[in-house]
Amino acid sequence: MTTLDTRPIHDEVPGNYLTFRRGLLSWLLTLDHKRIGVMYLVAVLVSFFVGGVMALLVRTKLLWPGEVSWMTADEYNKAFTLHGAIMVFLVIIPSIPGALGNFVLPIMLGAKDVAFPRLNLFSFYLWVLGAACAVYSLLAGGFDTGWTFYTPYSSQFGAGGTIPVLVGVFILGFSSIFTGVNFIVTIHKLRPPGMTWFRMPLFLWALYATAVIQVLATPVLGITVAMLVIERAFNIGIFDPAMGGDPVLFQHFFWFYSHPAVYIMILPGMGIISEIIAVHSHRHIFGFRFIAFSSIAIAIFSFLVWGHHMFTSGQSPLMNVLFSAITFSVAIPSAVKVFNWLATLYKGSISLNTAMWYGLAFIFLFTIGGLTGIPLAVLSTDIHLHDTYFVVAHFHYVMMGSALIAMIGGLHHWWPKMFGVMFNETWGKIACALVFIGFNMTFFTQFMLGSQGMPRRYYLYQPEFQIYHHISTGGSYIMGLGFLITAIYLIHSLFAGKKAPANPWGGASLEWQCTSPPPHDNFATTPRVGDCYDFSAVSWDEKKQGYVVDAEAHVAAAHHGKGH
Amino acid sequence: MPTRRSLLSPVRSDAARTVPQRDTPFDDPKARFQAGLFGMWLFLATLAVLFVSAILGYVVVRVDNGDGFIPANAPAPPSILLASTVLLVVSSATMQRAANAGRRGDPAQGGMMLVTIALALGFLAIQAVAWRQWVTQGVLVADNLYAWTFYVLTGMHAAHVLGGLPAMAITAVKAARAAYTPDNHRGIVYCAMYWHFLDGAWIVLYATLWFGSLR
Repeated sequence: MTTLDTRPIHDEVPGNYLTFRRGLLSWLLTLDHKRIGVMYLVAVLVSFFVGGVMALLVRTKLLWPGEVSWMTADEYNKAFTLHGAIMVFLVIIPSIPGALGNFVLPIMLGAKDVAFPRLNLFSFYLWVLGAACAVYSLLAGGFDTGWTFYTPYSSQFGAGGTIPVLVGVFILGFSSIFTGVNFIVTIHKLRPPGMTWFRMPLFLWALYATAVIQVLATPVLGITVAMLVIERAFNIGIFDPAMGGDPVLFQHFFWFYSHPAVYIMILPGMGIISEIIAVHSHRHIFGFRFIAFSSIAIAIFSFLVWGHHMFTSGQSPLMNVLFSAITFSVAIPSAVKVFNWLATLYKGSISLNTAMWYGLAFIFLFTIGGLTGIPLAVLSTDIHLHDTYFVVAHFHYVMMGSALIAMIGGLHHWWPKMFGVMFNETWGKIACALVFIGFNMTFFTQFMLGSQGMPRRYYLYQPEFQIYHHISTGGSYIMGLGFLITAIYLIHSLFAGKKAPANPWGGASLEWQCTSPPPHDNFATTPRVGDCYDFSAVSWDEKKQGYVVDAEAHVAAAHHGKGH
Repeated sequence: MPTRRSLLSPVRSDAARTVPQRDTPFDDPKARFQAGLFGMWLFLATLAVLFVSAILGYVVVRVDNGDGFIPANAPAPPSILLASTVLLVVSSATMQRAANAGRRGDPAQGGMMLVTIALALGFLAIQAVAWRQWVTQGVLVADNLYAWTFYVLTGMHAAHVLGGLPAMAITAVKAARAAYTPDNHRGIVYCAMYWHFLDGAWIVLYATLWFGSLR
């Protein structure tokens, strides 16, 4: 049995990236992708907490159909806008690439770091600056436009903090772009010998497809919000109909970014699910190439469907028909992934770990999220459902039930690797169950609300909707409890968790072959790679209380074409 | 049995303190340069999308409004912009000469960088004069979309020139010391790529604005 040449050589040597240097500055100025990933993780989770509190405030208001004394209609508008903007721009978009991607991507490649470590740190600080702008905008009067910033409301009306938050969005966009540039170059230039594109973990395929969208779509958002800021400042601009401008142009620009952005959010999540399903089923991923290419297909389609957000905007019927048709075609690569995950599970040796619970929750919730997209893509039904709670429910099933659940699942999957400790599995499953039940209570009811005509973003509503709102709000509290428990046992594990083995779940990709937590350099020498979904050379080691990969057999199997 | 050990347990590797931070994962400088070039191309692709969407926004409102887009008595874009265009094109050439000199390790790199920066400042000065001409003619940014798009688009380009200048200045200081050699000329080559991009972007932008100003 040979293991890969890693430094330190055996588990008991304490040197790792967490202890490599000490002191606050060694974190703030670090160029180590792992530390930058951890900083992103902390930042994103703090934002998630703030955005979550906003959501709970909004849900609590909706317990009552009329006015409430503790939250005015204006405050309500600001609360849901803040919730949306934080969750989209500060949480979901940077969460998986910034936190988990940064940590795992170079290790999965057997590389020492991403291609441009300084640029990586710069991306993080752009994120911080963007977040600071959002905080400043709250002091400047908040913003109440909805996260979509539609003109002319955002250009001529809106609360006093609109310009600062738009500047923040602009800056966050460049943070996202630089992360994308970094990942594309890293994947192209730092794959180890033997790791062909078709030996590359599917998480990296997903991050690659995501990065392409980040690089090519995000600048459109940048220029759009920049023009909106100038328009707001001078009270004239190309989105102003009074002066010959075109407010629908804003919608085109906004969705030309923000629809692909939906895939910036979901594709990395799909990548994580491919890892979780394969590793925790101990079975070779089914249809590797189909999953890999479906990521690319989704990235390409993502640029061609933005008009489906605008079926009621007055764009031409021909455009509506084309956008509707192309939107249906996105279902194909999405379903390809789901079928392949299910086929991987079939006859797999499934370990029902917490990460796997999240993986299964993802498949369930993403299926609902995807299928409810169909009535929204159908022109006739969309006219009825547009801007109702049905839309809210649909995109929460995709953005939260899928993207964020995948992020939390990935966090559990790589937590032992990141921090070298095991969390409490029992509490993990309890929390996952609470989140799953709470989520469905919260949002499934909103499908019903929406189909009965309850418009989104309304402060007041008809009393007959109250029962649905009560169930929905109750569900949101259960979900909140689930996340609270998650936070508690994860933080607890940092201080009192059992020491994690290098490979607690039985993975065969490279990150499981260095110690937990990884050493500063990840690998002393560039490792040789086998098929990262071939688990035949992975076995349980009682002494280490973890799995070990017989590296020689693993690589040899790949070279003899076995394990495929 | 695995032992319980807190993350924060006081183990440290003092040896690490003396090691400088690794700022690249590449051992081979050539591989690092190749990666850098690739990264620059991606960055320029991003900027290209930025400029193209801005120009597209202009084209949409220009076409939507027909000739009514141009108010009566509105002046054409100042013809002095032709001069700034020439300066920028020449600066692109001198920038390339600087990069070529850097590639050879030729000390001419410093002089060429200085000329490039001088031309860039000249370009910005002429842009400012052009703006002033319109302002003195009473064409202000908030008057109409014809003026707004002119100021915003030329301003966006000028901002990119301005934003490039600090990097150009650092590169010039290094070039003045003939720091770029056949073995290491990454910085000056990246500068040249960015500069050529801004040159091309300006030509497209100026042509668009000029055609847009025709009735």
